[in-house]
Amino acid sequence: MSVPPTTAVEPPMSSMQAGVIVDYPASLDCIHCGLCLDDCPTYRLTGVEPQSPRGRIHLMRAVAEGRLDPEPGYVEAIDTCLVCRHCESVCPAGIHMGQMIEVARDGLNRVDPPRWTVRMARRIGLRGLLPSRARLSLVAGATRMLQRAGLTGVVAKMLGPLGAGLRDLPNVPPARERQRLPDFTPADGPGFGLVALHEGCVMPQLHGRVHRASVRVLAAAGDAVLGFSDATCCGALQAHNGDLESAREQARRTIAAFERKTADDGTTPVLISNSAGCGAHMKEYDRLLADDPEWAERAKTFVTRVQDFAEHLAEPGPRERLAQRLGRTDLGAVTYDDPCHLCHGQGVREQPRHLMSDVPGLDVVTLERPESCCGAAGLHALLRPDESRTVLAEKLRDLAASGASVLVTANPGCHLQYESGLQRTGSDVQVLHLAELLDRALDGAPT
Amino acid sequence: MALPYLEELRAIVGDAGLVTDRAGRLAYESDALSLEKQLPELVVLPLDTAQASAVMRVLSKHGVPIVPRGAGTGLAGGATPVAGGVSLSTARMREILEIDPVGRTARVQAGVVNAELTRRAAPHDLFYAPDPSSQAACTLGGNVANNSGGPHCFKHGATTRHVLGMIVVDADGEVIDLSHQGPDPDGFDLIGLIVGSEGMFGLVTEVTLKLVPIPDATETILAVFPSLDSACDTVTEAIARRLEPSAIEILDELTIDAVERSVFAAGYPREAKAVLLLECEGSAAEVEATSADLTELCQEHGCLEIRTARDDADRRRLWAGRKGAFGAMGRIAPDLYVADVVAPRTRLREIVRIATDICHERGLKVSNVFHAGDGNLHPNISYDRRDTDEVRRVLEAGELIMRACIERGGSLTGEHGVGLEKQEHMCHLFDESDLDAMRRAREALDPDLRMNPGKMIPIRGCREMRTPEPMPQGDDR
Ligand SMILES: Cc1cc2nc3c(=O)[nH]c(=O)nc-3n(C[C@H](O)[C@H](O)[C@H](O)COP(=O)(O)OP(=O)(O)OC[C@H]3O[C@@H](n4cnc5c(N)ncnc54)[C@H](O)[C@@H]3O)c2cc1C
Ligand code: SF4
Ligand code: SF4
Repeated sequence: MSVPPTTAVEPPMSSMQAGVIVDYPASLDCIHCGLCLDDCPTYRLTGVEPQSPRGRIHLMRAVAEGRLDPEPGYVEAIDTCLVCRHCESVCPAGIHMGQMIEVARDGLNRVDPPRWTVRMARRIGLRGLLPSRARLSLVAGATRMLQRAGLTGVVAKMLGPLGAGLRDLPNVPPARERQRLPDFTPADGPGFGLVALHEGCVMPQLHGRVHRASVRVLAAAGDAVLGFSDATCCGALQAHNGDLESAREQARRTIAAFERKTADDGTTPVLISNSAGCGAHMKEYDRLLADDPEWAERAKTFVTRVQDFAEHLAEPGPRERLAQRLGRTDLGAVTYDDPCHLCHGQGVREQPRHLMSDVPGLDVVTLERPESCCGAAGLHALLRPDESRTVLAEKLRDLAASGASVLVTANPGCHLQYESGLQRTGSDVQVLHLAELLDRALDGAPT
Repeated sequence: MALPYLEELRAIVGDAGLVTDRAGRLAYESDALSLEKQLPELVVLPLDTAQASAVMRVLSKHGVPIVPRGAGTGLAGGATPVAGGVSLSTARMREILEIDPVGRTARVQAGVVNAELTRRAAPHDLFYAPDPSSQAACTLGGNVANNSGGPHCFKHGATTRHVLGMIVVDADGEVIDLSHQGPDPDGFDLIGLIVGSEGMFGLVTEVTLKLVPIPDATETILAVFPSLDSACDTVTEAIARRLEPSAIEILDELTIDAVERSVFAAGYPREAKAVLLLECEGSAAEVEATSADLTELCQEHGCLEIRTARDDADRRRLWAGRKGAFGAMGRIAPDLYVADVVAPRTRLREIVRIATDICHERGLKVSNVFHAGDGNLHPNISYDRRDTDEVRRVLEAGELIMRACIERGGSLTGEHGVGLEKQEHMCHLFDESDLDAMRRAREALDPDLRMNPGKMIPIRGCREMRTPEPMPQGDDR
């Protein structure tokens, strides 16, 4: 290189549209070293730089600096990100990909309205459906009817491109499994703590059994458990899809509802999430609402109360009490796959494993690359089913190689993704939420 | 964009093997040296040797320049695209074709990531020894092209010592199969020529590599020093006493701080002025003897504390911190200039000092993390590329550091290659007849000079470059 450089200089700051539609300051964290490439599922899948963390950040920065228009290639780069945040766990410079993608998608939704079908679907889904438990119930009920009548294929066809995901929808359980949790469940034995279980939007419809198992396990560990369904959706899916306005609204509703759970004597419960995606998102409400004078402080207080299910139970007190209640189950070889938003999003890695090691005689086998994404990635599995399946294929190979007959996860998206993938490939590996596993071991045969 | 050869290429690699749109191509405009930028006309990603050869035939017919690219972690601009050229990426060639546990070899496609090979060899109690700090992402093809090193190359040697065979496709698309050469090839050793050729002799599509048995015993030692000088002196003395650890790395204060604030926090003591990271491997007895000698040596040089890794997890943490060090500098400033020079190991302390002074005189932030055992220094200068004057000062400092090394008997590049970054500085090390010999070797393999043109070998004559340039200040200490 000659001194001084001629080609090296960036356009002057004045010509930049910095920060308008991307998170420009955050994009400067990246030093372009490339260490993240091979851990990015979309890069591994395609091999192309614009679908890598470094490439995505490079393009965001180029847009901010006015060197690139938000043209279709850029939209593609931003839209294909799974927001699995694996890059955050391996980037030595400490990038915040989740946040950057949310801002970039929000920006795109403003300057480049997405195709109307997708927009309609997102609007109905994200704004109309997820925040309302009643409407979700209605849809779940209708879907169950279609599924029982074997009509999903027909309806999917009628919906055209949007229907693709419908065929993949998991079977909706009967109404009795879709009921809300009791307002109060006392500790099972001497009481020590008070928790509230975040019920969320999709989980009560599809995974009511996981919630019920969670309540039993928490109660066995000495916690009284409050049901928490007042705000329905936490807003994570809205944020990931670039609808920050609705995401903020959901955050405010959730915080307000949680504040109402404070008892007259000032005790607040710990808010437990058994959905890694919701937990990770709720723990970041302080960032989401940082610029909202009325809510910033309340959000800060709120985030200190949120814990993942495993994170809470692995604390010394609950863990010790729970361990005394766990006995043998005959599940065969069991393996644990880290949900992205638990390991990369919340840094919770050891806790679920510790709890599993407390189950006497449980045969735990290791899975290769347990921290890589299964392709569920929020709405990704529905919006881009082919890519999502290819990402999953690698995981299913690793799963087969592990020899496990039970896969344990801690996030509903991953749970459904694995179930549908295993069903498609005719595998009889069973998928369980960590709460279900612990629930089965509750009061099992002692060692 | 109407590239006359586009449809011919599409017929070979399909849509998934092409990046044509401007946004996509923009993501390829540089490698890890982000100062140098050039938009490629097109990016092509073949799946195997046959596709690569077919692609290169088409490009030959149309006279299009080709820049090979692996993971783009190169720090010298070797994979920076050239104007009017095509970037040929191996990122979809990531198949491990064969691991032979008995013969201790692996045959891989060029796009296989370095760390992936070690992971896949582990069940056979083998590993691939060259371990660049970028090993989590860099490709074996890129390692071959740059003859890359890494901490453990102190004992095991750089990439060239581990390449047993390869398949190369030349600029015209001809496949040259060197995969069955014995240890002593009949005729010229072409492999030796191609390792380190920075993509200028053709595209490496497959490599046969030597695997090494995982040693019986390994000990990792972290020695904490009150000054960078004393850490450097310890290394010089270790070499003089012919102690043989497998790796000797130094990290200074600023580096320690950046690493400890990153996801790779390794528990390096924050109050240290420098740490030495040492590893011994071999039989249990050898390891014990060497580590005892090293411990004693460190203590003689005033080391404050010695820690040894408790277990494998601890060892991995200590190394992950070292390997994340460059990236962790992202916490200091948006950009990092990683200088890569070689100093005689008897003069480590002196040259580290000079490099530090050169940077400080120019108001630059410099940190040091390097393969001390090999005398391979990396003064890392943090900067912001948006600040034109700072960029100028960084490049000036880079050049002065390089010259200081050469004048003291060192060399231009330790492991990152010449690429664009050091092209003109080749003149400081080689005279015109040396460079002509290199040009002739290149012409023999690529008469049209279409492979990675404009890299490594200075384009202008050296005399022309030397005369008008006054020696910048601060050099003659
Ligand atoms: C954080 C970090 C740490 C690093 N640490 C080290 C280290 O410890 N030791 C070290 O030696 N280097 C190190 N490097 C530099 C770099 O990682 C190595 O040079 C690496 O070998 C480059 O591999 P790559 O696949 O990224 O190649 P690229 O950067 O894509 O290309 C490098 C050069 O090789 C050519 N090339 C690539 N693939 C082929 C092929 N198949 N056939 C022919 N030519 C090809 C390119 O044209 C280019 O000239 C580091 C870099 C970073 C960012
Ligand atoms: S690891 Fe981090 S700093 Fe390096 S390229 Fe990836 S995102 Fe950028
Ligand atoms: S979040 Fe996941 S998909 Fe997106 S860039 Fe990071 S690693 Fe890749």
